[in-house]
Amino acid sequence: MDQWNNELEQLFGQYKRLAPDPEPSSNFTPELWRKIEARQSLVVRIRRLTKVFVAAAAAICMVFALFLAVPASDNSILNGNYVDLLAETHPAENLAPLGIRTDTE
Amino acid sequence: MLVEFELIQKARTGDDAAFNQVVLAYRKRILGTIARLIGRPEDVEDVGQEVFLRLYYSLDQLRTPEVFEPWLYRLTVNASYDYLRKQRRRNEARMSDLSEQQVLLADAAAGGKVSIEQERQKNVKELVEALLGAIPEHDRILLTLKEVEGLSLKELEKIYSVNENALKVRLFRARQRVLNAYQAVQSKSGKQVVGSA
Repeated sequence: MDQWNNELEQLFGQYKRLAPDPEPSSNFTPELWRKIEARQSLVVRIRRLTKVFVAAAAAICMVFALFLAVPASDNSILNGNYVDLLAETHPAENLAPLGIRTDTE
Repeated sequence: MLVEFELIQKARTGDDAAFNQVVLAYRKRILGTIARLIGRPEDVEDVGQEVFLRLYYSLDQLRTPEVFEPWLYRLTVNASYDYLRKQRRRNEARMSDLSEQQVLLADAAAGGKVSIEQERQKNVKELVEALLGAIPEHDRILLTLKEVEGLSLKELEKIYSVNENALKVRLFRARQRVLNAYQAVQSKSGKQVVGSA
C-alpha cells in the first residue's frame, strides 16, 4: 500500500512540475480593469435609476397628501355627524308608514 | 504572503493602485491554480479575471489582512466551481472545444514530432487528470489544492470553513478513491508511468 501511496505522491509532484503556473498575457490586467469599470458603471446606473424612482415616489406621495389635505369646495354633505345626516335624509314623517315612532310624536 | 499587510489594507480602503499591485503579485499563482482546477488553458484568464473582479468588490468585507490568502483561494475555488458548472451544462465534446494544447499535441503526434520524453510527460498529465476526473468534483478540487497546490490543512480549514477532522476524512476518502483508480489502471496496463520528470 505504501508503494502505491509513494507512486501517487510522485505522480502528483510530477504533475505539478509539468503544469507550471502560466504566464499571464499582457492584456490580463487592462482587461480586468475594463471589467471592473463596466460593472462600476452598471452599479452607478442602477443607483441613479433607484434615486429617480425614489424621487418620483416621493413626489407622488406629496401630490396625494396635498390632494387629501386641501378641503373640497363642495363638502357640505360632509358637515355634521352621521346621525344628523341620517335625520336629514329621512324626515320623521317618512318613518311613520314604516311603523317607526319618534319621540316627538 | 506575497505582499505586505499594509498594501492589502490600502486596497481594502479603495486604493486602486494598491489593488493593482495585489493583482500583479498574485495573478500568476492564481492562474496556475485555476489552470490545474479547470484544465482548459484557453479559459484560465477569464476565470482569473472573474476571481480578481470578485475580490475587488468583496475586499471591504475582509475582516483582517491576515486572512487575505485563504479568502483569495476561496474566491478562486468558487469561481472555478461556477465555471465547471457552466461547462457541465454545455458538455459538448467537439473538436473545436478541445483546448489549444490538446490540438497542438494531437497535431504534433500526427506529424510524429513528439519525443519519447514529451510522450511520457503527456502520459503523466493525462493519467493524473484522468485519476482526478474519476472522483467527484468537490473531492477533486480539495485533493488538487492539497496534493498539487501544496496547501496545508490549516489553510484548507480557512478556505472551506470546516474543522480539520472533517477535512482529513474528506481528503482520506478522496485520496483512497484516486489510489484505487490508480491501482486499477496500473494493474490493467502493467506499465510504469512514474519516473524522473
